[in-house]
Amino acid sequence: MERESSGKSSMIPDHPEEGDRKERVGKITRNFFLHIHATRVHLYSMKPTYTFGLGIILGFLFLIMVFTGVILMIYYTPSVETAYQSVKDIVYIVPGGRIIRNMHRWASQGMVIVVFMHLLRVFYTGSYLGNRSLNWVIGVVMLILILLSNFSGYLLPWDQLAYWAVTIGSNIAASARELTDLLGITSVIDPGGFLKKLLIGGETVGQPALSRFFTLHVIFLPLSMLVLMGVHFWRIRKDGGLSRPLRYAGDKGGTNKWYAWPVLMWTELAILILVVTGVLLIALLADAPLLEKANPSFPENPAKSPWYFLGIQELVSYSAFAGGLLVPLLYLGFLFSIPYKDREDKYVGEWFSGKKGLKLVLRSAGFALVLVIIQLFIMVRFGGLRDWIPGVSQWFVLLINPATFTALLFFVVAEVTRKKMKSTRMAALVLFTCSFVALVVFTVVGIWFRGPNWEFFWSASQWPIQ
Amino acid sequence: MKRRLFIKKAAISLATFTGVMVAISYLRQFFPRLAGKKRRIALGDPRQFPVDTYTFMDEHNLFVYRDHEGIKAVTAVCTHLGCILEKSTDGFECPCHGSCYNNDGEVLSGPAPRDLTWYQVSKAADGKIVVDPGKSVQAGDKLLTT
Repeated sequence: MERESSGKSSMIPDHPEEGDRKERVGKITRNFFLHIHATRVHLYSMKPTYTFGLGIILGFLFLIMVFTGVILMIYYTPSVETAYQSVKDIVYIVPGGRIIRNMHRWASQGMVIVVFMHLLRVFYTGSYLGNRSLNWVIGVVMLILILLSNFSGYLLPWDQLAYWAVTIGSNIAASARELTDLLGITSVIDPGGFLKKLLIGGETVGQPALSRFFTLHVIFLPLSMLVLMGVHFWRIRKDGGLSRPLRYAGDKGGTNKWYAWPVLMWTELAILILVVTGVLLIALLADAPLLEKANPSFPENPAKSPWYFLGIQELVSYSAFAGGLLVPLLYLGFLFSIPYKDREDKYVGEWFSGKKGLKLVLRSAGFALVLVIIQLFIMVRFGGLRDWIPGVSQWFVLLINPATFTALLFFVVAEVTRKKMKSTRMAALVLFTCSFVALVVFTVVGIWFRGPNWEFFWSASQWPIQ
Repeated sequence: MKRRLFIKKAAISLATFTGVMVAISYLRQFFPRLAGKKRRIALGDPRQFPVDTYTFMDEHNLFVYRDHEGIKAVTAVCTHLGCILEKSTDGFECPCHGSCYNNDGEVLSGPAPRDLTWYQVSKAADGKIVVDPGKSVQAGDKLLTT
């Protein structure tokens, strides 16, 4: 894209000869798969610094997941007796099996990273504005599906990591009991137990859980994702291509548009090659972990979930219900509500909504960083509520902890911003930035600063030897 | 009522009824019937447990405590998120999120929402002891063996 425009409406349109034009339109319209694109695409959509190609990278990673997943499925057996051995066979006996499994694992983690980057891109460019609210909601649903796919795939090897991550996960699902117990109504209505039973089909993680997670992982989740991907792409076309600033909104017909063939096609092919090469390289260099076979009597110490859930694990170490269910659900609720609460369409397609927004984002990030670190310092140095007031009621433990406090404070700050700046977009920028920074900080602490018994350590080298 | 209207209404009612029945019986399948009662666990001769010690029974995730007076049993599953507790010098500790309990199973610190449950211990006809996870008792209650 060396012919980058200098902004305004003076981007360089693509004006081929009549015969050439027909040829190039035909390349797209005659092909079922290529016609996912419009025949002509706005130049703004092809700016690398606007999209970073994150959506399409996700699509390609999904393809890698499907291709490698099919091979793994041929050799894997979803039974508690043989699952672990079959994964070992894949790694040590099946020719190339280790690489396939590595690719599957690293591509899945790639999806988690890229989907969050995609979320950031779409949010900060205000791409949920205009008529794009539905596509934003579909996107958030797919984000959840990606996380669920990762989580369900985690149980399948049936090693120590798998078993305890899912035990903890299923009990987080059951943690609504913490609330119903306090109200004394668990015996009458038990949504926590209901959810847990639906998830793992029993009281503890066993064969029913493995069968359920296997079905979820290989049929339900990929199929749902495929359908939603179709809708997601279709909505982009329906909404008039990728979002762009209002000053380009009137660009119809040939103005500022390029033919998708060949430039866009070649760009996408290049991205595909880069993605596959990247995943392959990482798969060659790093092995996916496989611990000892699951042992229902001895959890690992520390028993850590996959890294992208360690933010939540840090939160549940304050309270299972508040940190594992209440605050994450509030966060998802916030994500879903953004395009319905904020309708300031003038900000569409503009990174950080201009200079004012960028300043606000940076200030919010700094504020959230300091606030969360102070709370963590207090928790680590002086302990939680129970250490200050022994025997304090469970109500207070549930309601007053860094998870709920952070959420409440962020909400208040966003509300004040909305009132003061009279802008819902600015309030959304504050709340989104603050909560994302908090998520990152909690995750970093969970990954690198928590050791045996979930105690704080500056580095893993200080962990006591067991 | 006109015939056409009647047929329309009848068709809609029938379709709704069938749809709801199908949905209920389909979704019902996702909730397996679990055994309501928990199985009792036979632990064998009480004398095999060392005195004044909490013995961890790894198949059943229990701690069995025996002293000169009697014997009692407590769950080893953390009430927070279901990890298996470790015995510390003066209580129990969870390796997952650091909940601490004292020797009576009461929560001292950490995110655990409830105290540990003590199970009823009884003596079978052949003199062997049996733990019933379906029946909870007070922390101090034990089966007297003397």
